[in-house]
Amino acid sequence: MVMRKAKKATRKAFAERMKEYGAHDPSFVVFEADIGYSTYSYLFGDEYPDRYFNMGIAEANMVGAAAGMAAGGRTVIACGYGVFLSMRALETVRTFICYPNLNVKFLSSHGGVTAAIDGVTHQATEDIGMVTTLPNMSVVAPADENAARAMVEVAVNTPGPVFVRAMRDPLYNIYDADETFETGGSKIVRDGADITIVSYGDILFEALEAAEELRRMGISAEVIDMYSIKPFDKATLLGSLEKTGALLVAENHQKRNGLGYELAAFCLTNKPVPFDHLGLQDTFAESGNYYKVLDKYGLSHNHIVAAAGSVVKKKQAEVAFA
Amino acid sequence: MGGQRLEDRAAYLERVARDVRLNIVRMIYEAQSGHPGGALSAADIVTALYFDIMNVDPSNPHWADRDRFVLSKGHACPVWYTCLAMRGFFPTKELSTLRKFESILQGHPDMKKTPGVDMTTGSLGQGLSCGVGMALEGKMLRKDYRVYVMLGDGEINEGQVWEAAATAAKFKLRNLCAIVDKNNLQMDGYTHEVLPMDPIDGKFAAFNWHVLSIDGHNMQEVLAAFEQAREVRDKPVCIIAETVKGKGVSYMEDVRAWHGKVPDHNQYERAIREIQGV
Ligand SMILES: Cc1ncc(C[n+]2csc(CCOP(=O)(O)OP(=O)(O)O)c2C)c(N)n1
Ligand SMILES: [Mg+2]
Repeated sequence: MVMRKAKKATRKAFAERMKEYGAHDPSFVVFEADIGYSTYSYLFGDEYPDRYFNMGIAEANMVGAAAGMAAGGRTVIACGYGVFLSMRALETVRTFICYPNLNVKFLSSHGGVTAAIDGVTHQATEDIGMVTTLPNMSVVAPADENAARAMVEVAVNTPGPVFVRAMRDPLYNIYDADETFETGGSKIVRDGADITIVSYGDILFEALEAAEELRRMGISAEVIDMYSIKPFDKATLLGSLEKTGALLVAENHQKRNGLGYELAAFCLTNKPVPFDHLGLQDTFAESGNYYKVLDKYGLSHNHIVAAAGSVVKKKQAEVAFA
Repeated sequence: MGGQRLEDRAAYLERVARDVRLNIVRMIYEAQSGHPGGALSAADIVTALYFDIMNVDPSNPHWADRDRFVLSKGHACPVWYTCLAMRGFFPTKELSTLRKFESILQGHPDMKKTPGVDMTTGSLGQGLSCGVGMALEGKMLRKDYRVYVMLGDGEINEGQVWEAAATAAKFKLRNLCAIVDKNNLQMDGYTHEVLPMDPIDGKFAAFNWHVLSIDGHNMQEVLAAFEQAREVRDKPVCIIAETVKGKGVSYMEDVRAWHGKVPDHNQYERAIREIQGV
């Protein structure tokens, strides 16, 4: 996989495709909560003013109204920042959207500490835990522009609520325009034999960088983009673990109730392997340069290299004693 | 300040507010990130609070009897940080660390990191609830401190603001004073386009608040309103301050895009010249 510097944030790529897709599918509408110039939903609004509803700074009301519109069968894409959609409006999302399993889709920007400079209030570092816990909700996290574009159709065509976790700033692109994505899918973005590193979103790039460093140290790491967090791709994970026998999950989220917890529970039941998990350790992050914040909170590639090395050692020790 | 003439106090505050505006622009330029529009519209009011109205002790930021301030529109925090620094809560050189790694000045206010910040904010619509709690605590302890909460005119879209308004009236929180920075803009456009809330004065009045309407850039009016607010019995007070977003920098004034944008080098120099009046 070649990492090419990206110019466009995933939030913007999604919004641009949402506007284009508006022509193919004239039925869905878009709701916004006064951050249309940040989620870029205004692009859709400028093109389709009659299908665009800016509800003001009132996220709980916005998702409640989305539920009402969806109750008649319509698909609504509700846009906002992750903290406000997944936490401020959480109970409305749960009881009025997930419980009746309505077709409300969420463009949720500022996932993880990608909003590093804005500080904790704008860093959605618990969103995955909140929304994956809700029955009927599907959750996806595109890592790059083409993945983000593809998520528009994935969201609209997957029945029920779908939460799309996007990021504030452009990072890298790895996928071609014809790459296909689906709920329950994943991508092996690098083949390896000694350890499986699972990630999603921005940390995927840290994992790829780590895999390159690990190669120089003689460790062959397989890297999986688990862009569909719920449901996740069990078959690909099992196939990879069959080969590598070791798992490291790295994510821009609290460790607790993140994808790592889900995969750890799955592996304990189905395929116990030496395991480690990188994420926020029961702490809030802080403002600052994105890369400095990643490093301080243990999410950058050097931490992945160290953790992967330890997991591989643990595996080798277990093999020696067997 | 009690003995001084209103005109003299206002003239002094106008000079301070000029430095406050200079620092706001400098901080955001230095950080290459932040929200100039709403910080500049609030500059005169926050200056009046910290340099005249509020009873605070910079050497003892946690003094139990101090007046409290909650910047519910937390994104405007450069105005708060500079007032706190200029008032002596921490060295002004810290202002250049805004939004940077390991700074005491977070992107949005953090009460655990910044001396003088009385409440963490940044998620809109919740600060008035916190103000209600602070005022209830003061009332319960029979303390004389007052609680000031500044709200954005877009922020009051949030339903929780009105839940807080109802409870403040229920408990007759005369020690609570809300200020609405009515600059008529929010993030996506004019407030009357995004979500019309007018009449704001009528709404607060209907919630049983005492309402005062002022020009938020006229220091004498600002001072007079805060003094009147102190005299109100049995009701919380809401000051509706008519302001201009980006006030003091001509090309930012009343322009949506300057909500959260950083000036380039030329714009920065022009902003500094305009504020300095040269
Ligand atoms: C709950 C919440 N929703 C959205 C935002 C994003 N946001 C930050 S500032 C802003 C507009 C605020 O407008 P207003 O209250 O009028 O403030 P001002 O004009 O004084 O800057 C928005 C939507 C937020 N910080 N919190
Ligand atoms: Mg405003």
